[in-house]
Amino acid sequence: MQPEHQGVAVTVLVSVGRHPLTGRARRADQDARGLELALGLEERLPGSRINLLHAGPRCEESESALRGYLGMGAGTGLEHLTLLEQPEGADAIPALAEHLASATPQLVITGARAERGEGSGLLPYALAEHLGWPLVNGLAAVEKVEHGVATLLQALPRGQRRRLQVRLPAIVSVDGAAPAPRQSAFGPARRAQLEVTPLAAERDHELAEWAMAPARKRPKRLKIIKSASARDRFKAAAAKAEGGSGQVLEGVSSEQGADAILKLLREEGVLPR
Amino acid sequence: MLETLLPILIFAALGVAVVGAWRRVRLWRQGRPSAVPLLKGLAALPRRYLVDLHHVVGRDKVISNTHVATAGGFVAAAVLMILVHGLDLGASEGWGGVLGWLLLAASACMFMGSLFVARRRRHPPARLSKGPWMRLPKSLMAFSLGVFLVTLPTVGILPAGFGSWVLALALAAVVGWGLAEMVVGMTWGGPMKHAFAGALHLAFHRRAERFGEGNRSTGLKALDLENEAASLGVETPADFTWNQLLGFDACVQCGRCEAVCPAFAAGQPLNPKKLIQDMVVGLAGGSDAGYAGSPYPGKPVGEHHGSPHGPIVGRGGKALVDAETLWSCTTCRACVEECPMMIEHVDAIVDMRRFLTLERGETPNKAPEVLDNLIATDNPGGFAPGARMHWAADLNLPLMADLQQVDVLLWLGDGAFDMRNQRTLRALVKVLRAAKVDFAVLGNEERDSGDVARRLGDEATFQSLARRNIATLAKYHFQHILTCDPHSFHVLGNEYGELGGDYRVYHHSTYIAELHDAGRLTFAPWKGGSVTYHDPCYLGRYNGEYEAPRRVLEALGITLNEMQRSGFRSRCCGGGGGAPITDIPGERRIPDMRMNDVKESGAGLVAVGCPQCTAMLEGVVDASAEVRDIAELVADALVAAPSEETAARHRPRAVEVA
Amino acid sequence: MTKMLRRDPRREWIARNRLHPEHASVLREQGEGAVSEWLGPSGVIRKNPRAIGFIGPSGIKRIDRSGAQQGGQATGSSHQAAQDSRRTVTIEAPAFLVAVVPELTGGRLSGHDKDLLGLARRLADADPERPGAVLAVIFGQHKGEGGGELKEQAFGEAGIDRLLHLEDDAYVGFAPEARLAALSTVERELAPRHWLLPDSPLGGADLGRRLALRLGERPATGVWQIESDTEALSGWRCTARGAAESLDIQRQLPRVALALAECAEPVDETRHAAEPLSLTTAVPRALSRIEDLGQVAVDPAGVALAEAEFILSGGNGVKDWDGFHHAAKVLGATEGASRVAVDDGYMARDRQVGATGTWVTARVYLAVGISGAIQHLQGIQSCDKVVAINMDPGCDMIKRADLAVIGEAAEILAALVAKVEQQRGGQRDAA
Repeated sequence: MQPEHQGVAVTVLVSVGRHPLTGRARRADQDARGLELALGLEERLPGSRINLLHAGPRCEESESALRGYLGMGAGTGLEHLTLLEQPEGADAIPALAEHLASATPQLVITGARAERGEGSGLLPYALAEHLGWPLVNGLAAVEKVEHGVATLLQALPRGQRRRLQVRLPAIVSVDGAAPAPRQSAFGPARRAQLEVTPLAAERDHELAEWAMAPARKRPKRLKIIKSASARDRFKAAAAKAEGGSGQVLEGVSSEQGADAILKLLREEGVLPR
Repeated sequence: MLETLLPILIFAALGVAVVGAWRRVRLWRQGRPSAVPLLKGLAALPRRYLVDLHHVVGRDKVISNTHVATAGGFVAAAVLMILVHGLDLGASEGWGGVLGWLLLAASACMFMGSLFVARRRRHPPARLSKGPWMRLPKSLMAFSLGVFLVTLPTVGILPAGFGSWVLALALAAVVGWGLAEMVVGMTWGGPMKHAFAGALHLAFHRRAERFGEGNRSTGLKALDLENEAASLGVETPADFTWNQLLGFDACVQCGRCEAVCPAFAAGQPLNPKKLIQDMVVGLAGGSDAGYAGSPYPGKPVGEHHGSPHGPIVGRGGKALVDAETLWSCTTCRACVEECPMMIEHVDAIVDMRRFLTLERGETPNKAPEVLDNLIATDNPGGFAPGARMHWAADLNLPLMADLQQVDVLLWLGDGAFDMRNQRTLRALVKVLRAAKVDFAVLGNEERDSGDVARRLGDEATFQSLARRNIATLAKYHFQHILTCDPHSFHVLGNEYGELGGDYRVYHHSTYIAELHDAGRLTFAPWKGGSVTYHDPCYLGRYNGEYEAPRRVLEALGITLNEMQRSGFRSRCCGGGGGAPITDIPGERRIPDMRMNDVKESGAGLVAVGCPQCTAMLEGVVDASAEVRDIAELVADALVAAPSEETAARHRPRAVEVA
Repeated sequence: MTKMLRRDPRREWIARNRLHPEHASVLREQGEGAVSEWLGPSGVIRKNPRAIGFIGPSGIKRIDRSGAQQGGQATGSSHQAAQDSRRTVTIEAPAFLVAVVPELTGGRLSGHDKDLLGLARRLADADPERPGAVLAVIFGQHKGEGGGELKEQAFGEAGIDRLLHLEDDAYVGFAPEARLAALSTVERELAPRHWLLPDSPLGGADLGRRLALRLGERPATGVWQIESDTEALSGWRCTARGAAESLDIQRQLPRVALALAECAEPVDETRHAAEPLSLTTAVPRALSRIEDLGQVAVDPAGVALAEAEFILSGGNGVKDWDGFHHAAKVLGATEGASRVAVDDGYMARDRQVGATGTWVTARVYLAVGISGAIQHLQGIQSCDKVVAINMDPGCDMIKRADLAVIGEAAEILAALVAKVEQQRGGQRDAA
């Protein structure tokens, strides 16, 4: 159906990220990884087209962050980004769903979660539900796209991978396991075009009702000792956290040393079974 | 018969040379425009040549004398030859005969020089290029001997018409060879090209301000980022300015740069001489197969080719130069310091890096991460900006924001995040307090100076950091800035000016030396072992400060065991120019070689004045010497402050701010 | 036979009577550590303060109140008591259901699952008059290899009242569409008041979001705290993490919630029925557009350092690199290296750990022959457990390490490899 040499039409949904320490706008890490995945796909499947799509307000800060994605397009065909302009606090999902339905890409790549706002990671699911497309999360690589079927690698914990096949069109989301994004170059970012489509605002009323505050540090869970004796409970509560000073085995045989290490490895459960 | 042949030969050679010159100039003019005062430059040429250039050449006395004899002899002989043989003035009686004798003397002098050139070419050191350069002594001899012989009849030592027409033809052929090499070759290519291009390069040099006694010009030139049409860095040879291209063409391939280049010595794929020659290849178009010097380590000659409008660094495949060659440079300026032709290698490398970073986004290894950190957190390590002063939580450092006005603004640099450098900073604070210096820090308002970003070619991030730093500094009043980081020292002092920030900046070694001279610091006598001093590139070669650190060490009672390579010949620690970040593999590590230099000096301690040098040298495994910053040595040696009166007497109108 | 306990009433009497002249010797005979504390005939713990402590080297009696002397035994017995003291709770006619879909990694309830079930219990037990029941929906993964047995007891003890065990080949591997169809059927038949899923990358995070959108709910994700709130419709308010962990969102608890680990205390005082339940209608078969082709073999040595959980890292002290690589293979560890090892060309640059290399977050970091330059230690600061093998007991890595073995690296690694191989061989024989 889809001869390989024609490539695929990919839309990458990008958002304005937030640096965890300074809060400055930047490329969102996962979205940038998504774009990297798409650029890799473009290299392997000539004739592929990549579209960048963002829905949100247009201001200096967000524009510089969005241009960060375009800066990754040095030497590729990536030269513009479609910006569906909405005021702050508007619901992006209907706008994006509508745009995707009319643009009909074969593959939509998004990051798993946004770095600003609710950051619930619902967007890819909402779009999949809206469009009725299959969705694969935790993508690590796209192996091939043939005859309207994509073969993907999904990331599992500890660097493991699972191979999946999905019928296109599909939505895939990437997280930290996808390839690290390439550098964003200043020149292409500055030259690239933002195609702005102003949209009527659909306010996200529910979001407006929530109370948002900078994240509090979560309390560390204490080891609860269920003991009848007050002394045991006090000891457990007052005991120093483990690992203050390590155990040093000096003058032991290598066998004994290996035993101690093996014991720790087993306790931590890192040895393959 | 010679009388008829010689004028033809001479004027034919001159004519062909003029055509060649026109073609050569056209090649240079492919470069971008650059505003240079042409006449003023030409007027300054003799002084630049005779003083500035010979100041560099004169570091090797034998070569200097050889060059004076050969070049001086040649210039005189060539001029006189045109007069005597070309215009036939020598035949006339009276002062015309004197010209003939002068010509004899000049050619004899040149012949003497050429003998030394020949001797040097007998067993040439590796740094010298071979190939066409090997025939140069013969050409020099042909010219000088030929001219000498044809002039003998002119002055009457030999009868006119001596010998047969065969001898005359043979002599004409020898003189013709000499003319071809010495005059035609000057503009058509060949070893003598350096004379023509070199002279014009000196006249139209991109950094006219570097000439003159004690002058230096080491700050990189800013890119115009406001103008969106202006290109970012250098993609093709034609993207250099025309006088940069001219400078490349002036290279004599003496290889002094190669001999001092730390990256070349470490086996990284960089050889400054080859790089300049590659630019010449690109300028004219073709392959580097004709290059006859040492290659880039690990890269055979003949595989690269380029053209004036073709890319210098290929995308994927090979072009004129590989990217890792450009990223191997530590920007230590040793090559520029040694170059007798005053070529600006570092400028060229940074220009090409700018294109790779700003247009291609191809800064290697960890560099993109560092640049992203600089953009997002204003420091290369990606630390929270609010944590910049954590190291000094117990020091109660006065903040500029509280005081508004002080004598000295202490610029901490990004070393504030590094646990090793924090020791140096603590020591420096102790010294300043001991000398009762009125100082304050910017605290969390400080940002990275932009040094690393700029050397990595990210001019946009550099300018962003610089402009914000300048805006911060503009809020406060201070006499001068003090820093223990030569990189910040250089950038603040030499590179912020172009962006509107003019400051008097002190390196801590200079400042401590002045404090000691003013009697505000007293030191206990040195009890340690032997010490050597490592000159940081950005303090020494970039800013010419070789004396103050040595004065401080002397004041501490230390007698230095100088390393063989010290002062302006100091070998780089490998930490500059973002080299530890781009991390191009070589056969050895630069800091290991430097630590070896320290070992050879026999010193058990190496004093440094730069956080980068400290980090690089301390990173050497199984080092024979301890690495201490000058500030630490001074802080350790401090004894109770001198009595109040003496301090007050010496204190230059200190403003006491409680 | 000799193990049989024989009571000696006289000795017991002497042991109780601390005024008896033989008291001390009898006590000493009776046991090593239990002399100072015993269970009296009436079930009350009796103590003999005189028997506490020991005679120190200087002949003076010493009392160690840290509990080190007898701690092991005391906690052991109290642990036993806690296990035994679980109250059995059976909810016959629940007022409502709280559905939980545990992630069930490796066929067992994970810590995250238990926390989530604790959260479910809080929701279910809020009103003692009208208690709800916790329903766990589990997909049959235990049939697969290495799955282990699903112990009914473990489910009960984790706080599950009703257990719906769905078994079908369609749920094997990555089958979000089939699982979603099943959960939709559960919703139709049982209509739970709350749906709780763990917000874990490949557990409930995916399924939970799919479910919420299928049910038309806007779920709370990254929930880490709930509080009762009479004003809220559901009676609960939750605090959820948003914006890449940088924001706390306070909102009403919606029907579907995805909770983080440690969102609540796991159940530990009660035992529930874990009564099996089954669906009355068949789950509709959805045509799957996603096909699972199975797991791909990944060489642990090639796993990205930042992702690795167990790193074997070599430095200047490693002399036998073949042995090092072999050890990494046997231990299933990802290989790392110090800067020096990379500079010397023994390892690739992308394997360098440290401030100038990769910052790693491994659970176990086994450093072999690494002295611990400051940059290296910075790079491993977020590792849980650091084990060091080094010749130099004074180096900085030893100071950082949780366990350090001083000795020849090659020998210790070889011994470790031999032990692991031997153990693995033994397992194979047993299997």
